[in-house]
Amino acid sequence: MSSLSNAFPSSGVNVPGIRMVDSTAGVLGIEWIEGQSVRKLLPGGAAEDDGPEDVDDAALGVGVDGLVAPEPANTSTASSLNTYGLSIDELMRFIGIEIAKMHRIDVIHGDLTTSNMMLRHLESTSTAELILIDFGLSYQSTLTEDKAVDLYVLERAFSSTHPDSEPMFNSVLAAYADTMGKDWPAIKNRLDDVRLRGRKRSMVG
Amino acid sequence: MPGKVRETPLKNPDRDYLALGLEGSANKLGAGIMKHSKDGSATVLSNIRHTYITPPGEGFQPRDTAQHHREWALKVINDCLAKASVSMHDIDCICFTKGPGMGAPLQSVALVARTLSLLFHKPLVGVNHCVGHIEMGREITGAQNPVVLYVSGGNTQVIAYSRQRYRIFGETLDIAVGNCLDRFARIINLSNDPSPGYNIEQEAKKGKCLIPLPYATKGMDVSLSGILSAVEAYTLDKRFRAQGSLDGAPVEDIITAQDLCFSLQETVFAMLVEITERAMAHLGSKEVLIVGGVGSNERLQQMMGIMAQERNGQVFATDERFCIDNGIMIAQAGLLSYRMGYQTALSKTTCTQRFRTDEVHVAWRA
Repeated sequence: MSSLSNAFPSSGVNVPGIRMVDSTAGVLGIEWIEGQSVRKLLPGGAAEDDGPEDVDDAALGVGVDGLVAPEPANTSTASSLNTYGLSIDELMRFIGIEIAKMHRIDVIHGDLTTSNMMLRHLESTSTAELILIDFGLSYQSTLTEDKAVDLYVLERAFSSTHPDSEPMFNSVLAAYADTMGKDWPAIKNRLDDVRLRGRKRSMVG
Repeated sequence: MPGKVRETPLKNPDRDYLALGLEGSANKLGAGIMKHSKDGSATVLSNIRHTYITPPGEGFQPRDTAQHHREWALKVINDCLAKASVSMHDIDCICFTKGPGMGAPLQSVALVARTLSLLFHKPLVGVNHCVGHIEMGREITGAQNPVVLYVSGGNTQVIAYSRQRYRIFGETLDIAVGNCLDRFARIINLSNDPSPGYNIEQEAKKGKCLIPLPYATKGMDVSLSGILSAVEAYTLDKRFRAQGSLDGAPVEDIITAQDLCFSLQETVFAMLVEITERAMAHLGSKEVLIVGGVGSNERLQQMMGIMAQERNGQVFATDERFCIDNGIMIAQAGLLSYRMGYQTALSKTTCTQRFRTDEVHVAWRA
């Protein structure tokens, strides 16, 4: 962990700063991010899917946890994003750029999902910045394979959480490609391989 | 949708409904009768199963399994009707497994379903086997909107519901976890009665040493075939003793079959718990439901319980009656879609070996 966080300041990857480490007690104190999870800012990721529901009970409450305005998903998503002065496409570019910066210093996140990204207001410029969080499964690797799998994990998280996310993820990849430059073609080829891997089908059971 | 009350599309029935469910996608032949009452409750009237058991060291072949199903179909269905005290004339619809599964056994059961449908003029409903497991697990445990770990001999998937689909978060990249355990049972010549997985679980309780095995999660996915090769390699190691030490006392530097069963379970279950926890963390879900044959493994339930407890969550699991393939789950999922107006025309009652969980439109949930 410490070697990873040491790699960040010079690379410009936005991550929570470390405030305190007590390795004997196993305590890590990190910066509080005043912001919101990217999952909640995108269609389909809001609390709507957390609520209890049952075939027998139509009048159950919805598990809104206070972060999302009680309005239909699309408008609440758009308005939450508006408070950051961002369009969905710009947010996707942020994500792509941030991941690329991280991969350029050979850090693999290991658990890239929209829950592990936060958006924070920048008071100075009245814009926002994207912060990658939860590096509990991260490691360092120069392998194209590991970077491609990292992207694939995010792609799966998008497709399973946010309906019709394909154009969104394509913007992430476009921004990632721009930032990675000459390293991109190799990663893209590997990503295509990773997508084909495994059983994209069920077997007997 | 936030702030908007989601109305369930499924209305309470205007009368009692009865469904016959027929399952035979692998080596279990099952028939069950499910009743949905006017008050919205569901009752299991009967749930009969007959398992095709092969000798130790052998798996079940599609041809022989299909033959087993053909031989037992009449008896199992008659027992099922007798136990429920209903006649075929009282049934509203006949539900059968459309897939996924082994082709030949699926076809023989679909043929039985078609024959009954024509004899008694009853509509047919084709059911996705995985959705059957999920719906039965939800019905029995009362879990509202859980993350589902579906683990069986043919499938290993982490599933969450969103917008009328069961979406797959992670799955195995190669063999299923049940297949991995069953094949190891075959390697060390454990009995297939009542099931190889059950016997592995009993052997594992006697294991003492955790032998290092590869730990292969790839993002939200797992890979199990390499672990099977690795654990098989230990059985060829010169330290391996199939029967343990002769006097039962622990002997330094030997590897017993029990140790390997224990280590295999601990390793693969830890991987499954990890990918389930990731899905829960991502979705902010507090409930996890374990379904499928391997879900009846108490060690897996225990490990999942520890994880859920640490997250202040809850595990829902069922016992072997509903975990292991059965007819009643097909009746449950089939009756839900039948009540939404879904039927399968006779010309469409084909089977498919490949039928992903996320292909099914879950019309009965909001």
